[in-house]
Amino acid sequence: MSYRIPGRGRVDHADPVRFTFDGKSLKGLRGDTLASALLANGIHLVGRSFKYHRPRGIVTAGSDDPNALVETSRDSGRFEPNTRATVQELRSGLAAESQNRFPTLEYDVGEVNNLLAPLFSAGFYYKTFMWPRNFWDKVYEPVIRRAAGLGRAPTEVDPDHYASRYAHVDVLVAGAGPAGIAAALAAARSGASVMLVDENSEIGGSLLSEPGVEIGGTPAWDWLADAAAELEALGVQVLPRTIAMGYYHQNMVGLCQRVTDHLDTVPANAPRERMWRVRAARVVLAQGAQEKPLVFDGNDRPGVMLAGAAQTFLNRFGVRVCDRGVVVTSHDSAYHAAFDLADAGAVIAAIVDTRSEIRDDLRSEARARGIEVLASHTVTGTKGRLRIKSVRVNPVASGRVLSPRTLFCDALLMSGGWTPALHLFSHTKGGLAWDAEAQTFLPDRKTENCEIAGAGRGLWGIGAALADGAKAGAEAAGALGREATTPEFDVTTDRAGTGRAHEELPTDRNPSRVRAFVDFQNDVTAKDIRLAVREGMRSIEHVKRYTTTGMATDQGKLSNINGLMIAADALGKTPPEVGLTTFRPPYTPTTFGAFAGYHRGAHFEVTRKTPIDPWAEAHGAVFEPVAQWRRARYFPQGEEDMDAAVERECRATRASVGIFDASTLGKIEVTGPDAVEFMNRVYTNPWTKLAPGKLRYGVLLGDDGYVRDDGVIGRISEHQFHVTTTTGGAARVLNTMEDYLQTEWPDLDVWLTSTTEQWAVVALNGPNARKVLEPLVEGLDISNAAFPMMSVADCTVAGLPARLFRLSFTGELGYEINVPARHGLALWEALMTAGAPHGITPYGTESMHLLRAEKGFIIVGQDTDGTVSPQDAGLGWALGSKKADFIGMRGLQRPDLVAKGRKQLVGLLTEDGAVKLEEGAQITAERDAPLPRAMIGHVTSSYRSPALGRSIAMALVKDGHDRMGEIVYIPMENEVIAARIASANFYDPDGGRAKA
Amino acid sequence: MNTDTETRPTAARVEPLPPEARFSLRARAHHLDRISEALWVGVPRRIGDIAENDARRAVCLGPDEWLLTLPEDQGAGLKARMAEIRHDAPHALADISDRELCYRISGPGAAQIVAMGCPRDLRALVTGRAVRTVFDGASVILWREAEDSFRLDIWRSFAPHALALVETGIEELRAGL
Amino acid sequence: MLLIHCPYCDETLPEAEFAYAGEAHVSRAAVPSEVTDEVWRDFLFYRSNVRGPHYERWRHVYGCGRFFNAVRDTVSDRFLTTYEAGAPKPALTDLEGQK
Repeated sequence: MSYRIPGRGRVDHADPVRFTFDGKSLKGLRGDTLASALLANGIHLVGRSFKYHRPRGIVTAGSDDPNALVETSRDSGRFEPNTRATVQELRSGLAAESQNRFPTLEYDVGEVNNLLAPLFSAGFYYKTFMWPRNFWDKVYEPVIRRAAGLGRAPTEVDPDHYASRYAHVDVLVAGAGPAGIAAALAAARSGASVMLVDENSEIGGSLLSEPGVEIGGTPAWDWLADAAAELEALGVQVLPRTIAMGYYHQNMVGLCQRVTDHLDTVPANAPRERMWRVRAARVVLAQGAQEKPLVFDGNDRPGVMLAGAAQTFLNRFGVRVCDRGVVVTSHDSAYHAAFDLADAGAVIAAIVDTRSEIRDDLRSEARARGIEVLASHTVTGTKGRLRIKSVRVNPVASGRVLSPRTLFCDALLMSGGWTPALHLFSHTKGGLAWDAEAQTFLPDRKTENCEIAGAGRGLWGIGAALADGAKAGAEAAGALGREATTPEFDVTTDRAGTGRAHEELPTDRNPSRVRAFVDFQNDVTAKDIRLAVREGMRSIEHVKRYTTTGMATDQGKLSNINGLMIAADALGKTPPEVGLTTFRPPYTPTTFGAFAGYHRGAHFEVTRKTPIDPWAEAHGAVFEPVAQWRRARYFPQGEEDMDAAVERECRATRASVGIFDASTLGKIEVTGPDAVEFMNRVYTNPWTKLAPGKLRYGVLLGDDGYVRDDGVIGRISEHQFHVTTTTGGAARVLNTMEDYLQTEWPDLDVWLTSTTEQWAVVALNGPNARKVLEPLVEGLDISNAAFPMMSVADCTVAGLPARLFRLSFTGELGYEINVPARHGLALWEALMTAGAPHGITPYGTESMHLLRAEKGFIIVGQDTDGTVSPQDAGLGWALGSKKADFIGMRGLQRPDLVAKGRKQLVGLLTEDGAVKLEEGAQITAERDAPLPRAMIGHVTSSYRSPALGRSIAMALVKDGHDRMGEIVYIPMENEVIAARIASANFYDPDGGRAKA
Repeated sequence: MNTDTETRPTAARVEPLPPEARFSLRARAHHLDRISEALWVGVPRRIGDIAENDARRAVCLGPDEWLLTLPEDQGAGLKARMAEIRHDAPHALADISDRELCYRISGPGAAQIVAMGCPRDLRALVTGRAVRTVFDGASVILWREAEDSFRLDIWRSFAPHALALVETGIEELRAGL
Repeated sequence: MLLIHCPYCDETLPEAEFAYAGEAHVSRAAVPSEVTDEVWRDFLFYRSNVRGPHYERWRHVYGCGRFFNAVRDTVSDRFLTTYEAGAPKPALTDLEGQK
């Protein structure tokens, strides 16, 4: 049977849309939400609750619905749990499935939880998940978690993509109901740039549900069309389907825009959602108010719905939610829902009002429609397994609940009054004030440049919202120095009203049998909240966490005020004394995709590539990330694994010549008349006597005396140094240098420029390095006599302008050739060609690490950890002790740094050279001392050395420099490894090869 | 590269710019007059301003920092003239011709492309100005060449990452949603 | 994301262009070798960690590159002022009005 009323609402009756729910094919209309389409088909039951698996129906018509969560899918991979049926627009072929039920929605074995409800009282998790220990793995996680889950997680990679945008506007208006539209118009008319966003598929807000209202003699929907046209003409950026999800510092508002979920087919390259980060000079919050449920036994049965939602389904979607309804209310607004439904052909069996005094005009309108009004009544129960069949109502007199009567119905429309949507305002830490008359919290003290308009600050009715919105829009414009006027709005058939707030409704039943729900999704009842208070919870934040009320995906939109009223009653305090829990972003559940935006897959994070990277990729390099760079780790040939490739690369380099892409090294040009003074103050070494054309290994400390970075530094001229840093330290070192220069030594005439990316750098190492290089060099004699170890000069290499360094990080004869980055690849290829007769072998970072470890050269950050002094690292020779000061000089004199017992860097040779230590392994002085055994250090680097034919390691060991030759022990899971402390300079200890 | 000539409000294109000579200039304020003479272009004093003289441009990036751009064949001459005044007007002149790659993003949707990765209020970056800022996690120099045309100077190694976003953005705009 | 006024650029710009750089007005001794261990310890490690207006340093790293100083309220996360490195420390009483 169809509950659609022909011709009614804003749906397109000429455009049917097929969809499925739990496999059943159904028909809806273009313009429907999934919820309105289901209701048009007479379906209220849409899911099972989280804890008790109770049957649940659609409660609201908006994003605040706690129950109508379904799984939706479009095609393989495009699967999403917990889609709100009240938000998801109907599209052709939409497949929706109910959740939390097995095997079917109608017959769910999990419903047994409902019978066990007494076990799942407030604080269940805290009371239960305590003991015994092994129950965690065997029972709690696998059984209870699964039974209590909310939907299924997708198993496939999300094929959609997501977008993001920064935007800057004069005025951002959140919410496009009457207040928001009026605000946007007023601000835009003054010339301000305005963005107007609304979570619905079209603007209008409550006007969409109130077609009977007339504004200045124009029917609401005609006025709306005019307003939309004017907004467009004024250049207002209108974003429907867009939720203002968070309000952050200084008027930054996060928006999540649904871009394609409503489309039958998705255009290529269109993002599914777009995250906007909007910075607005002024914000107008016009998000309206949310209707509250009433709290009574059985208020969660399918067919029990908010009265305002029923009105929206009727007027906006042309769907009559029932044949025979009962209304229960504490607010005038529900009367209009009843009247509209009665006028549309439904029977309204009664309006049950908790209040004793009812407005005469409402009484007479009810009478005219033959609707019975029961004042001073309460609801004490409902019946019907999968859909409400009857409601039990009782008169209340002098606080006593009298005998009940039963009203038969297929829907119960409830209204506990309205709560301003305070969420975004609360994100700003704005202060709230309790309005005793309206019995609600209202926004009060503002912390941001914002206005709150309309129902969001407790003003009810279309006329009030329009006027207040226009005023807010004009104020926003005025605050920006623009002249804005506030038009008058003459609104007729406005249906503003008043009401009262309640704790749970009074009942004549045994309180222990009553199941009056406060938080539908988390299955929290009034009884749970009272129990929490009895068990000692005093703060509303504790009540929330103990009971989980307000912690569901609707973030307490329906439950917070009801929960507060009950907690306050139980505590014997007033609601403002108890206060509200903190609202936090996001306002509605937001996908991870929207947060990630473009940053997924290959674009997940910045990946820096060198000019030689294309060659490495083409030649099968295996890459590794180093800081933000991707670097070739090794170049496997055939079926080689890493160990085999590295061994081959290292042997080739030591035997003939290897080639390495060193472009990622940080480079800083230090220039100016005070360059040498600056270098003396920054690096530990003395620089004054370093002649132009010479290199020196430099060590950089922090002022605490610990090693921060190192690198080879060339003196290019009297007033210029070419500094190199570690790959990962480049930005940090430049930042440190700038910091001291700008704030400690602003008098120095010296300037720093990053040239890391100006140069591509190729390292050539091995006994045949000169033979390969020499024929390519012009303008420089690179013989050993003319261009010895630790020299630098500008020249031409392979016809390219170059800066040539002679240095060695491998222990072999070595050069680093710098060329302007655009020529990096050409240089590499020229060297490969020239080196071919010598079997030139490309090597990656792994071999580079191994080759340097054979020489005992440290890698800052691997062999040091931020607490290693240069003496600890064996670099005491690099300290310019005669200098007046350098960064860290004073730090080196700190008591802890001069004390005995410091961990010092040494070499380690396992007694059995076939055994390789684990990096990070702890070291003890004794093999079998009782536990706990004192750890005296740890292994920092460990390799199998092809050159030595055995394993080698470096380690930080307490007083290591005094322990040369001693045996230490490395306890592992199944054995204790003995190793001898040695010099870390394992290979060619006198350094003759590098100087050859 | 996208070379279509769409004119709808969301269309945008990106193109690499040909090489040019680029230098980073650092100096103190009281030497700028002397330096401007040697540069053959007067250096601007306000951050974000661009001075131009016969294809030589100077962009003020910081209180003591300028970006100089000029035709490739004039780089060596500039270096030589600046070396001559080194003692009179101490400064640093670093050749950064190869440090960045430069792109032009243009078309009616150009500002939207920039706003995908740059948090700046582009309304404040008026035509004829250039600033250092951030684009999708990378330091860039962003020039506003015209209302619907931006230039992006980006460190070479970051260019593939930034360009991937630009290309994604162009396709996204083309989808029209 | 905060907005920060760079005193060198004289523009108020998104936080993403800036990097925090620790407490401000922690002065490094002109001749470090002459100060006691206690003075050096305090310079290295002791920070005020205030609740309320905090003098701190920022660097406009994705911008003009300059380090500058700021007073930021650590409770509200509001900047009360920013000023150039080397400029005198502004008195809190002068800033109250700008809150």
